[in-house]
Amino acid sequence: MFSLWLAKVVSFIDKLNETLGKLIAWLTLLIVVLTFFVVVLRYGFNIGSIALQESVLYAHATIFMLGAAYTLKHNGHVRVDVFYHRGSEKAQAWINLFGTVFLLFPVMIFMAWISSDFIAASWSILEKSREPGGLPLVYLNKTLIYALAFTLGLQGISEVGRNILILQGKLKIKNESMEQV
Amino acid sequence: MEYLALLMFACICLMLLIGYPVALTLAGTSLLFAGVAALFGAFDTSYLSAFPSRIYGILNNQTLLAVPLFVFMGAVLEKAQIAEKLLTSMAQLFSRFPGGLAISVTIVGMLLAASTGIVGATVVTMGLLSLPTMLKRGYDTSLSTGVICATGTLGQIIPPSIALVLLGDVLSNAYQRAQLDMGNFNPDTVSVGDLFAGAVLPGLLLVVLYIAYIVIVTWVKPEMAPASQQDSEKVSWRVLVSALLPPLMLMSIVLGSILTGYATPTEAAGVGAFGALVLAILQKQLTLVALQAVMQSTLKISSMVFMILIGASLFSLVFRGLGGETLIHGIFNDLPGGVITATIIVMVVIFLLGFILDFIEITFVVIPIVAPILLMMGLDPVWLGIMIAVNLQTSFLTPPFGFALFYLRGVADKSIKTLQIYKGVLPFILIQLIVLLALALFPQLATWLPDNLYP
Amino acid sequence: ACGEKDVAATNDVAPQKTYKWKLVTSWPKNFPGLGKGPEKFAKYVNDMSNGRLTIEVFGAGQLVPGFQVFDEVSTGGAQMGHSGAYYWKGKAPAASFFAAVPFGMNAQETNAWLHYGGGIELWRELYKPFGIIPMAGGNTGVQFAGWFNKEIKTIEDIDGLKMRIGGIGGEVFKRAGGVPVNMPGGEIFSSLQSGALDASEWVGPYNDNAFGFYKAAKYYYSSGWQEPQATLEFLINEQAFNALPADLQEIVTVAARAVNQDMLDEYTARNANALKTLVNQHNVQVRTFPEPVMAELKKLSSAVIADMAKQDPMVAKVWESYQSFYQDIRQYHKISEQAYYENRQ
Ligand code: NA
Ligand code: NA
Repeated sequence: MFSLWLAKVVSFIDKLNETLGKLIAWLTLLIVVLTFFVVVLRYGFNIGSIALQESVLYAHATIFMLGAAYTLKHNGHVRVDVFYHRGSEKAQAWINLFGTVFLLFPVMIFMAWISSDFIAASWSILEKSREPGGLPLVYLNKTLIYALAFTLGLQGISEVGRNILILQGKLKIKNESMEQV
Repeated sequence: MEYLALLMFACICLMLLIGYPVALTLAGTSLLFAGVAALFGAFDTSYLSAFPSRIYGILNNQTLLAVPLFVFMGAVLEKAQIAEKLLTSMAQLFSRFPGGLAISVTIVGMLLAASTGIVGATVVTMGLLSLPTMLKRGYDTSLSTGVICATGTLGQIIPPSIALVLLGDVLSNAYQRAQLDMGNFNPDTVSVGDLFAGAVLPGLLLVVLYIAYIVIVTWVKPEMAPASQQDSEKVSWRVLVSALLPPLMLMSIVLGSILTGYATPTEAAGVGAFGALVLAILQKQLTLVALQAVMQSTLKISSMVFMILIGASLFSLVFRGLGGETLIHGIFNDLPGGVITATIIVMVVIFLLGFILDFIEITFVVIPIVAPILLMMGLDPVWLGIMIAVNLQTSFLTPPFGFALFYLRGVADKSIKTLQIYKGVLPFILIQLIVLLALALFPQLATWLPDNLYP
Repeated sequence: ACGEKDVAATNDVAPQKTYKWKLVTSWPKNFPGLGKGPEKFAKYVNDMSNGRLTIEVFGAGQLVPGFQVFDEVSTGGAQMGHSGAYYWKGKAPAASFFAAVPFGMNAQETNAWLHYGGGIELWRELYKPFGIIPMAGGNTGVQFAGWFNKEIKTIEDIDGLKMRIGGIGGEVFKRAGGVPVNMPGGEIFSSLQSGALDASEWVGPYNDNAFGFYKAAKYYYSSGWQEPQATLEFLINEQAFNALPADLQEIVTVAARAVNQDMLDEYTARNANALKTLVNQHNVQVRTFPEPVMAELKKLSSAVIADMAKQDPMVAKVWESYQSFYQDIRQYHKISEQAYYENRQ
């Protein structure tokens, strides 16, 4: 009964972050195209737009802040793979359970808590760019810190559920290999 | 009390070995340490309030915007099979000569490295395509795997390289700090472009030495790399040229515009990625599925890199709050032998850390602590950057935990023993160390090109 | 009279509380001029308070990035900051007016407005909602218009010109047809060399010489219409300041005032020397914009400021105070300072 409920939670969160990740991924194409345009406009037409430059930066920030949960789901955050990959499925599940509870959750809770004044202050004045012609959306950019804490924290809940299910023998680990630079 | 900082570093290294994602281990362990130290009055918690500001600084770092752009470009080249074509046609051309296959793998590795250079992708591509061919033609297993692993890591050192972008960002801050701390308002700044220029000659030297090694081995033991007996393979020059053209074009766009100073590395990365996209479309290799794979892979790698940066920024706050920076300064200043001892120690430490840590972690965690001290002792920032880069590149090859070895192990046939792979990379590790030594003795190898490009 | 009683008496006095503050800056540690200000401030305070208030200075990036100084002081992570008010334009548009106003008052006049013309009161009002008390914290004096690789002969020469320039001056430059470019400090130099930038403004001879701009650009234009002076600021967390005993508050205030004057003195002395070096050793060509170009820029400046005042009531309020003080002082200085400048030639 509990496992069934847990599996539902896991699959719900996974679907959410999966959809989010696939959407956010399009921003990588956007920053390529926009950067190209910034260069062409500046060198070719002597047109410069700080708003456009800032849009690229905002998109870039959104990619890794909102994509972190998706990356966790796909085992894309690099690990020191000395013992981990040799461990049994259960050992890996224990490591992930331990890490999520004692490392991921504290960091995400701390991040949200310590940033609350910082972000609230920005919202209260609807902070704008300091550059001439820049975007008036600094408060949204800063809110990405909350977004990271929330989505990654949420994915953490799913990871806890998944690893409990694995430890109960009710789920197989899916070993997606890490992406590498 | 300062020793708490070192204790924390040791604890983090131990925690990392458990194998939970690095970014969260870095941040989480630092946070726990800060909490415990604060309970005993050994840590001023107001340091932690700088965390959101630091994250926001990372969100707005224009230099690091080059990272997802270069990753995107590399992913397109991989998924659009541009590397694959190049490899097949080069192999056809050169397999008639003894050692020819190994040399063509090296040259293709260099070309891929100079167009973008994602180590994982290069090793996997070559491991899948060349390794079976080399073994079929009677090549020695160790030699084949060694060549593939080593040339795969060239992407790290031959610009454009993500490792150099990250290092450039860290070093330019360190260099500015060092100069001003010395009261020396030397006008020089060091940029990612400088590091790119500085890495060109050492990168080429590595290629030359790799090839020299292959030639010598072939000469001494011809049975290790025999020439192909099949004459049936007719090489079409047209096919070769058409395979060579795309990477060469991208290479000249990206490297050319950066080295001539016409574009910043970020701009060049954007143009290069766009160019790769256009090439892939022209060659009708870019399906929607391939594009989505490219985008998702870029997303994952960017997240991975920047989460480590965020984790490292929390680490460095706590490290500073515990007095760690002052401690390291003290230790280095009391070293007998001055700058030479200090450099050797740093290089050895980086080399050893390279056995367990990734170049990203070392760049973000270790370099910001030690680089300002070394630069204050008067080292040239470009030279130091290239030394570190070659050193970190070597760590991809060092058994048991070199990443290049993992990738190849992942795609190589089960009949190949891990020990054979280890044996194969040993000569190449030696070559890396020779190049490090050459750089130490002749710093001009790194500094000559940037000095002459940007006088 | 033996000492015993005295010793006992001093022992009765409770040990005085000591304070440890952090001061974050927008400049690299020990940066010439700008970065020396907070260092001196910390030393003055430490010496005057006999070590009761010690201040640790952090360069840009050591604790927080340079542009995060305001947030850090506002949230109380650091008790103090040293920066320039134009960086907070996105938080409060009126902030720019406490740093630099194109074609506005010079250093002497700005200090007079701040300390005897109601300026500092308005500045405090502006930062009050952020829990920050501002104090003037140094001045660069009149700056230079910047480093150019193209000569400016008519206003049309600005059309399409790629320049790194911020603040209100950046808006004016944009209206003149220029392309303000946003770029990290470390990339300005190579961008000027390669032509990715045509021009960049920085500070004045003392700082610009140290940065080596003469290697990358041909012409050095004076005078800095965009920044006829630049006031630096000390930012103090209000709660932290109020928690200090009165004597320490006074020490902080006086030390800030001393640094404010000291920096201007240093810039004035060193700028002259640095310009000699630039011209004699590095063959820099010093130029000025032709009269009609200046006239056009001045017209555009007024328009930009008028628009800003329309959009933000606090800008209107500050601008009114600024302008009315400026009108009087300008008339007075015409027949005093200006007349003397001409007389002494
Ligand atoms: Na590369
Ligand atoms: Na300026």
